[in-house]
Amino acid sequence: MSKRTHERINWKKEARLLPGYILLVAWVAFTAFILLWIIAASLSETNDIMRGEVWQNVFSGDFHFENYVSAWMSNNVSVYFANSLLYSIVGCVGTILISAPAAYVMSRFRFFLNKTIHLSFIVAMSVPAVMVILPLFSLASGLNLTNNRILYIILVICLRVPFSVIYLMNFFQNLSRAYEEAAAIDGCTPMKTFWKIMLPLVQPALITVTVFNFLSIWNEYFIAMIFVSGDAKTAVGVGLMNIVNSMTYSGDYGGLFAAVIIVFLPTFILYLFLSDKIINGVTAGGVKG
Amino acid sequence: MRKSKSMIVCFMTAAVITLLFMYVYPIIRTIIMSFFNVESVTASTSTWSLAGLKNYIDLYATSIFRTSMINILKIWLIGGIITMFFALLFAVILTSGVRFKNFFRAAIYLPNVISAVAMAAMWRYYVFNARFGFLNSFLELFGLDAVNWLDTGHIFGSMLVAYCFGSVGYFMLIFLSGIERIPSDIYEAAMIDGTNSFQKFRYITLPLLRGVFKTNLTFWSVSTLTFFVWTRMFSPTETENTTVVPVVYLYNVVFGSKGVTQVDAGRGAAIGVTLAVCMILIYAIMNRLIKDDDLEF
Repeated sequence: MSKRTHERINWKKEARLLPGYILLVAWVAFTAFILLWIIAASLSETNDIMRGEVWQNVFSGDFHFENYVSAWMSNNVSVYFANSLLYSIVGCVGTILISAPAAYVMSRFRFFLNKTIHLSFIVAMSVPAVMVILPLFSLASGLNLTNNRILYIILVICLRVPFSVIYLMNFFQNLSRAYEEAAAIDGCTPMKTFWKIMLPLVQPALITVTVFNFLSIWNEYFIAMIFVSGDAKTAVGVGLMNIVNSMTYSGDYGGLFAAVIIVFLPTFILYLFLSDKIINGVTAGGVKG
Repeated sequence: MRKSKSMIVCFMTAAVITLLFMYVYPIIRTIIMSFFNVESVTASTSTWSLAGLKNYIDLYATSIFRTSMINILKIWLIGGIITMFFALLFAVILTSGVRFKNFFRAAIYLPNVISAVAMAAMWRYYVFNARFGFLNSFLELFGLDAVNWLDTGHIFGSMLVAYCFGSVGYFMLIFLSGIERIPSDIYEAAMIDGTNSFQKFRYITLPLLRGVFKTNLTFWSVSTLTFFVWTRMFSPTETENTTVVPVVYLYNVVFGSKGVTQVDAGRGAAIGVTLAVCMILIYAIMNRLIKDDDLEF
């Protein structure tokens, strides 16, 4: 690859590709322009936004960080942010603890209903949430568990287990059985072999799965809206929608765009560092995260 | 290798419980519920009364539900054509030997990792804004009149464009990996025979992407049938019909909203089952129409 970049530029070839470059650059420039404008607007006063003068405002160095302060403090973004962080982290850990052992034994042993369970996980990945929320909600309200953090975490874990099991199975299948045989000779029990030897071997896959699970839980909206709708416990997606709806009435566009940026940043930063891993994960798994 | 029964039980129990708790039990109960009169979603089963097909018959006679199904059909068909067109176009461009391929690929995929609420907020409150929005500033640049992109006549189209823009990246990645799996010697053989790039695309790439098309159309169907956030963002308070979709109607009918006079969980369950049946039908038709790749490469 590096050899190619040192080659002289073949202008004839590049000219042939020009229409393609124009389309790509136009699309990406549009995306970048929108993001930069939103950032600029989040640092501007609402009056300047209304007059369409965010660029003049930002280039004059007049940054209004109070938009962020007001979004973070008085509009509860800090609460939503902390909630989502809790849900994402506990959800990711819980998902791995449940999925990895299951993926391992399903890919290693034949047992009763193995095929059926495997197929069920595949089907579960495309079951629409609307098919399951009504009974779950009635169950939750019967047990007085609506607006309960623990129940929401359990639900997001259940939501992520099918994808995680199927994704991890591919990786366990590719590991040589020689590891287990050697461990058995040394007197290591099968369970200990899994935790000490097999699990560390699929670490790259664990990271990819966790990144997908994190993105998915952070961006989860539908179930949070139904199961943790209260202001103190809800997640960033639902919180942001509440903010957006109330701010359009109050007319505080600066605060609105600041809230959008705060919700956008964590996944964006994650993507900046891990875009290759995420993209390879999408194409390898062929499964929407 | 020695098989340890206790280990299998230990390692499988939790995963199987999630399957039963989150999928098996709720799906069965939703299907049963759709055949009963169930007023409140929290009502105990002792208050349910058998309704037969009444929920379905009433539902299909409701004009707002019909509108929502037509809307989702439009999103699926028109949005699908737009999204697949751009996804395939970018996949072909990116495999034609352009520079900075990884950068472009990552930038086009970016909207997929961002919260849909944040994406929709950016489009609704900036791009389509009548006063200071991107599109109207752009029109102004060419001396054209401003358009209200969010009025009743435009809002559905605006929402659809915004939704497609964010979806292209994912489907592009799937097309991209499909094209990259096609062995280069096929193209080399075609080059010797003197084909141009359009012929190469039409007679080699496209036919060999059949299986990838099927994957993409299946995922597209799954994600459009559960369309929800974008409607909530584009029409947060209105109960007007222009942007309503089945899941929004389901939410209103089960949990109540201004436009719904009475909550009806049985009807909500019927909507869920209808959507699931649509998904199964689409999947079956797709399997019939598009045969899996019989070629091995």
